[in-house]
Amino acid sequence: MIHITINGKVVQAKDGEMLLTVIRREKIDVPTLCHHEAVEPSGACRLCMVEITKPEWDGWCDYVTSCLYPAADGLIVNTHAKKVNELRSSILDMYLARHPKSPEIRQLAAEYGVLKTQFEEVVDGDNCILCGICTRICDTMGFHAISMVGRGHGKEVAPPLNMAPTACVGCLSCAKNCPTNYIEYNMENGGLTIWKKDFEMVACTECGKTTITKEFAEYLSKNRDINIDYFRKCDECHRKELAGTMGRISNWDREARS
Amino acid sequence: MNNRFIVKPELCTGCRSCELACSFTHAIDGVRALTRITPIDGGFKDLWVPVTCLQCDDAACIKSCLVNALKRNPVTGAVELNHEVCVNCMACVAACPFGCAVLDTQANLIVKCDLCGGDPACAHFCPTKALVWEPIEKSVKKTG
Ligand code: SF4
Ligand code: SF4
Ligand code: FES
Repeated sequence: MIHITINGKVVQAKDGEMLLTVIRREKIDVPTLCHHEAVEPSGACRLCMVEITKPEWDGWCDYVTSCLYPAADGLIVNTHAKKVNELRSSILDMYLARHPKSPEIRQLAAEYGVLKTQFEEVVDGDNCILCGICTRICDTMGFHAISMVGRGHGKEVAPPLNMAPTACVGCLSCAKNCPTNYIEYNMENGGLTIWKKDFEMVACTECGKTTITKEFAEYLSKNRDINIDYFRKCDECHRKELAGTMGRISNWDREARS
Repeated sequence: MNNRFIVKPELCTGCRSCELACSFTHAIDGVRALTRITPIDGGFKDLWVPVTCLQCDDAACIKSCLVNALKRNPVTGAVELNHEVCVNCMACVAACPFGCAVLDTQANLIVKCDLCGGDPACAHFCPTKALVWEPIEKSVKKTG
């Protein structure tokens, strides 16, 4: 265990854990757009920037992305120093210019006092901020169905060759964790479409409710050693089934006693 | 693991105190959460079964989680879900053969029983002691 100071308060941390983890544990609100605990940090959004210093630095400070900066003993961190807030505002100003229509970006920018960008707005842009949360999650889950393609202005998230990705199982984790809700999908009539790929959902054999795609269930059964029959009923029908089984046992017990 | 959670359906009256206790205990920012325990009609006269996670040894939910958001707490024996890590893929909800990992649609979080970190609130509030949290030796002596 080491000790660092965050906004004047001395807190304990594990040597080498990232500053953002410590900051979040202390329930201090630092904005992020590219952070997710399920995946490795990437430092893409720059919003988690904090000011750091040490007594022996003679008053010098540094500005670092807290999601990628390991905690070290004696470090003094300021998450909302004047300069830090200014940096965040300028970054958000640029995000706002690039994605003027994104409600999520507008709200965050407003929290840092940026209601209108001072740059020229991109009119025909989309809401993808290229944070890579989607691709990193898909990779971590072991599917590698989508990736960042192209460079510079043309950079975007896409499946290989922009065709329906064979590796995608339709788990929706990319879409559900996108900070700007950019990834579209359509779920209706027991089917799902995402990344131009069509899926069939598993329908509960009792009530028809759907939870995950057939392809995802088969993947889990095969690769994680789970009986495929577990996926046939929905959660609610499974609970009823358990109540029925336990009910029968309790009833025998009850009859045996009376 | 010193204690274990015991469910005795023959004592349950279906009063649903456990649901309230659970839902308040897991509230987020003062908003009541979806209950992780629920008494369900056991199919016979006056027989209710409080259904909740069985904390299986070979847990399908843990196996199904591709980002390791579900882990066993070695002290309490409970399978705990880390919401920071969870990506909401619904694998555990689909995989649990007892339907005890559920989607809290209001909070938009997947939830499951965590034995309240080692002091289950439902057991405190069950008026008929259909739910008990007691030292393992005690229950072994009684049944064995
Ligand atoms: S689609 Fe969403 S999650 Fe993926 S890089 Fe773009 S903003 Fe990030
Ligand atoms: S839905 Fe497809 S692309 Fe998205 S995370 Fe799941 S497997 Fe990857
Ligand atoms: S969270 Fe995006 S750079 Fe650190």
